[in-house]
Amino acid sequence: MTYDDYQEFSALVTQRNIVFYYFGYFSQSITAAMAEAVRLQLEKSDAAPSTRRKIFSSFVEMAQNITHYSLDSLSPAEQRNDQLRQGSVCIGRDGDRYFLLCSNSVAADQVELLRQKVEPLKTMSLDDIKRAYRETLRAEAPVGSKGGGLGFLTLARDASSPLEFSFAPSAQSDAVTFFIKATI
Amino acid sequence: MNSTLPDDLFIPEAEASPQVDFRFSEHRLALKGESYPENAASFYAETIERTRTYLAALAEDQVVTIDVALSYFNSSSTKMLFGLFSTFQDACTRGVVVILNWHRDAEDDTMEEFGAELHDEYPSLQFNDIPVAP
Repeated sequence: MTYDDYQEFSALVTQRNIVFYYFGYFSQSITAAMAEAVRLQLEKSDAAPSTRRKIFSSFVEMAQNITHYSLDSLSPAEQRNDQLRQGSVCIGRDGDRYFLLCSNSVAADQVELLRQKVEPLKTMSLDDIKRAYRETLRAEAPVGSKGGGLGFLTLARDASSPLEFSFAPSAQSDAVTFFIKATI
Repeated sequence: MNSTLPDDLFIPEAEASPQVDFRFSEHRLALKGESYPENAASFYAETIERTRTYLAALAEDQVVTIDVALSYFNSSSTKMLFGLFSTFQDACTRGVVVILNWHRDAEDDTMEEFGAELHDEYPSLQFNDIPVAP
């Protein structure tokens, strides 16, 4: 990257009102440090306290989703503590709304399963989301979940409009990049 | 008479996990701080296990007070907390009296709703919503 490229990159960050961006490895301690940085950024913003709480909550869910599930992992697949996985997260402002974006790679053969899981969230009303949240809270944790299966529903609950999901080809043929966008 | 109670449990507050101050000997239990550990099931395992043992040892009519003052918890902690409170509900059906003081930021709708959810699911607990001015 040239100095000019970097200026261009920095200009885009300003132009798009980016509050926070990180690409790299996610672990619990990295997430906690970033959460601190995000909290500081939000404290000096004029966002309402409820908006700040929702951004913070969505940030943690996205970061922990990457830590738990990204395909690009430095920790053994079966390990449940001290996990280290790669992804990116971005927080920015668009008019009077905030948005959060995140991405990580997923195995190509897992895409259909993931799509089936997230697709219904795009069309659910807030009442539907709250109902599903209450049901999931009372249910046994789903197979393959490292939390309680509440992560996506928590993101959907905190968002002011439906979550957006996208799958894009990745440089690795057996992997796909999974994106989530949440608007607060 | 209560039979032998488990030892008090104290876990200091850490970066992403709350302070657990469960004084079984005084029948006063408290959770305070933020909760978003990497592995909530593992973080809460000891707390839930010892609480179960404690509640099983209590005589009926014993009053237990639990103060919860959590400013934030992530989705997997939510699941664990819901499970923790189900053990209190079970004790209530045996005659144990559980008072749950739910301290929350007065403007935090998510905490208010989760408190209402607990109250709704576990009606035997004496639930006190305690909004605190930010």
